[in-house]
Amino acid sequence: MTRGARLTEWVALYALSVAVALALASVIVEATGGDWWPVVEALVDGSIMAPGRWGGTLGIAAPLLLVALGTVISSKAGLINIGQEGQLLIGAAVAVYFSFRIGGPGPLNVVVLLLFGALGGAAWASISGLLRYWRGVPEVLSTLLLVFVALQAVGYGLKWQWLLLADEASRGNRNLVSEQLAKDNRIPRPDIFGNEFPITVYVAVALALAVAYVLARTVWGFRLRMLGHNPRAAQRAGVSSTVYGASALAIGGAFAGLAGAAMFAGGGFSFGNYRLVPGFSDNIGWTGLLVALLARERALPAVVAAFVFAGLRNGAGFVNSTGVQSRITDVVQGLLVLALLVPPAVVFLRDRRRARAAATERV
Amino acid sequence: MTDTTTGLTGTGGSDPSVPAVELVGITKRFGGIVACDQVDLTLHRGRIHGILGENGAGKSTLMKVLIGLVLPDVGSVRIDGWPRTIHDPLAAASLGIAMVHQHFSLVDQLSVWENVALGEEGRLKSAGVRDRVVAISQQYGLEIDPDARVGELTAGLRQRVEIIKCLRRDPHILVFDEPTSVLTPEESEQLFGTLREVVAAEGRAVVLVSHKLDEVLHATDEITIMRQGRVVDHRPTHEADARSLARAMVGREVSLRSERAAFGLAEVEEADGESQESDVGSLADIDEATDVDAEDRRPAETTKPDEPVMRIEGASVRGRGGARLLDDISLDLRAGEIVGVAGVEGNGQRTLGDLLSSLVPLDAGRVVVNHEAVPTGSPGAMAKAGVAVIPEDRHDSGVVLDMTVAENLLMVDPHRVARNGVMDKARTAETAQQMIEEFDIGCSGPDAPLWSLSGGNQQRVVLARELAAEPEVLVAAQPTRGLDVGAIEYMTDRLRQTAIDGVAVLLISSELEEILELADRIVVMSRGRIVGELSHAEANLETLGMLMGGSSG
Repeated sequence: MTRGARLTEWVALYALSVAVALALASVIVEATGGDWWPVVEALVDGSIMAPGRWGGTLGIAAPLLLVALGTVISSKAGLINIGQEGQLLIGAAVAVYFSFRIGGPGPLNVVVLLLFGALGGAAWASISGLLRYWRGVPEVLSTLLLVFVALQAVGYGLKWQWLLLADEASRGNRNLVSEQLAKDNRIPRPDIFGNEFPITVYVAVALALAVAYVLARTVWGFRLRMLGHNPRAAQRAGVSSTVYGASALAIGGAFAGLAGAAMFAGGGFSFGNYRLVPGFSDNIGWTGLLVALLARERALPAVVAAFVFAGLRNGAGFVNSTGVQSRITDVVQGLLVLALLVPPAVVFLRDRRRARAAATERV
Repeated sequence: MTDTTTGLTGTGGSDPSVPAVELVGITKRFGGIVACDQVDLTLHRGRIHGILGENGAGKSTLMKVLIGLVLPDVGSVRIDGWPRTIHDPLAAASLGIAMVHQHFSLVDQLSVWENVALGEEGRLKSAGVRDRVVAISQQYGLEIDPDARVGELTAGLRQRVEIIKCLRRDPHILVFDEPTSVLTPEESEQLFGTLREVVAAEGRAVVLVSHKLDEVLHATDEITIMRQGRVVDHRPTHEADARSLARAMVGREVSLRSERAAFGLAEVEEADGESQESDVGSLADIDEATDVDAEDRRPAETTKPDEPVMRIEGASVRGRGGARLLDDISLDLRAGEIVGVAGVEGNGQRTLGDLLSSLVPLDAGRVVVNHEAVPTGSPGAMAKAGVAVIPEDRHDSGVVLDMTVAENLLMVDPHRVARNGVMDKARTAETAQQMIEEFDIGCSGPDAPLWSLSGGNQQRVVLARELAAEPEVLVAAQPTRGLDVGAIEYMTDRLRQTAIDGVAVLLISSELEEILELADRIVVMSRGRIVGELSHAEANLETLGMLMGGSSG
């Protein structure tokens, strides 16, 4: 199939899929007594059209993209890492812990903080790597279950002042919050055309380019893909599944952890406000996983996918103000997410069927 | 080769003069490929009908039409004179058509009678099924213990289970698809005896699909030859001889040894004056052409270096549950020689291949290459030590289907085209293009996905890559399986040339003819052990067959 034909096919598939989702959504909204057109308008306004909104969308897109990039790397190695939510939270917590203890001048502290975030996420994901390659525990289980451990661990850390809890003076009457990050230790948020967003957006896009390059062009990326496609052929060719697999998991975790640290120091999220609080991760890890799925585990398409998901998420805030019940708007949002995931799934299944047919025909 | 149109005690009581099966003008296309092109086939009760053809000649598709796995685009099927449409295998079964497949569909964990009863509906009476198994096995001389666990049976016995499974449904029409590919010569012999009996005593119609000439000549009453989806010849077996059949099958004169090997025409006469004409007399005239390529007598016979390049010492591997996959194997390989590992499939050859592919660690013993022990099961260790492998199943560990041809060619040594860990695009394409040309790999270019290549070309990719590493040892496991004649010829020539170039070649194969043709020295594996070693001169089909069946142990 030619490139043009492929592109047309993709566009058609998405158009159809989104149209079906919108139709279903309108039926649901109307049936529950709302008006569906204002909902669509609110979604578009809230994500990009209204003043200052696309900055917010970009701010959400950055951590989503980071999480997705990590997912891309671990899945290229044939691993199913679904614990980004926990890795992100641990990354944020580690970043918070060291940020307040190391101190230092602003920009340096930001770098230190992001570094520790990545390290924290990597360490957390490495638990799964260890279990997988030392004891044979499937990573899909361990990464998932460690999410819940991470939630509890951070909750525990927020109860003790020697861990994450802020001292009484700065937390006021709140419990379970960390110290607030000092103004000069935050990631800069320049204002562009009335939209402000943290510069991590640039970092995330640069990292997407880097990941795409590393996977496609370096020996390391080549061998990682080999491992993912055919572990036995890789083993024969000298790719150690332990070394490459464990690194891929750790790097995946590092990206999630980095996302967590960037959320903490970059602001722009509805709650947190430069503090670590329970529920801080706010489903960014899970959504980032979806972004990677939507991008079919490729780094560059993940940039677009991250923006689309961030837009949905940011726009949802406006939809809530249309008077439609928030449960219904959740359903609408879910339908749209589903609509975005259907075309890649359709194409994937078809390609695989074709490949199999080709393979069996040629035996 | 007498005509056996005797004993028409037709099971269905229908008129014996009406053919059991008539396929008329069957045409089937897959995409642009015509698998069957206006094929006619008539099967009579009480006769064994051989269908001969190369891989891809359309034999399998034709049989799939008969048992309802494929619906023809054009053409009609008549069973006992009645026009029928066979939509699925169940319909075929109800018409009394059964097939013994090349690959067994048995459950290893279950006993023989349980396997026979699989697919049965309603309440299962174990005693009844057991009795039935015993009755069938006595009736046809297919001796078997109904309570034996299938996983513990030899390939020959497993096939018996498959046959009993088929016979239990009392089919009028029996199809055997390449039945001898997993059998020792002796077991094949027995199978044909049984077939003869089934046909003679009960007037069933039997189809024997094969690409081996001697087997078709030996066991059938009439022969249909297919080439490129068409029937090119049809004649009674007593009017056929090996040479003319081979010619009809390939479409040209056959003289090369490798081709002869591909058809199962062994050069048994090479064993010092011993006469092995017991089976197929008609082979004699082909053997005149045997020593065409006498000039490539292997150098190993004249200059025999003493130092082995690779030593396998007391190698043992245990599988799950303690099964001995490899049991105390010792083997030396010298530069320039081809050592053949013969044996019925499933006797440890796969594990031996995996061992030399760094896929399996040893439980005892060691592998030494150039005086240095190679860590077993450690990623890439064997490749690094100079052991190249053409694996038994290339899709398993030989290639990555979802990667490009270039990537597959560079899998083992990507650093060759890399600078500072980054692969140079131009050098990658250039190197790959060179290899594609040198090994004549049919593909649209270095960037073609590997799955778009035919099996023979995929195998060339493996060969090119492995030889590019300039190995000390080349392990070729079933290197010609599933390839067509041209590809087989290419592969055998390459292997021979590799040995001449001074590489030690370990040829693991279940095709005895291939081993007899290529190997300087032959070891025979049975149940994970080496049960015998023969020089090229000592080896012949009979001695090998006996060793393979484990009759020495």
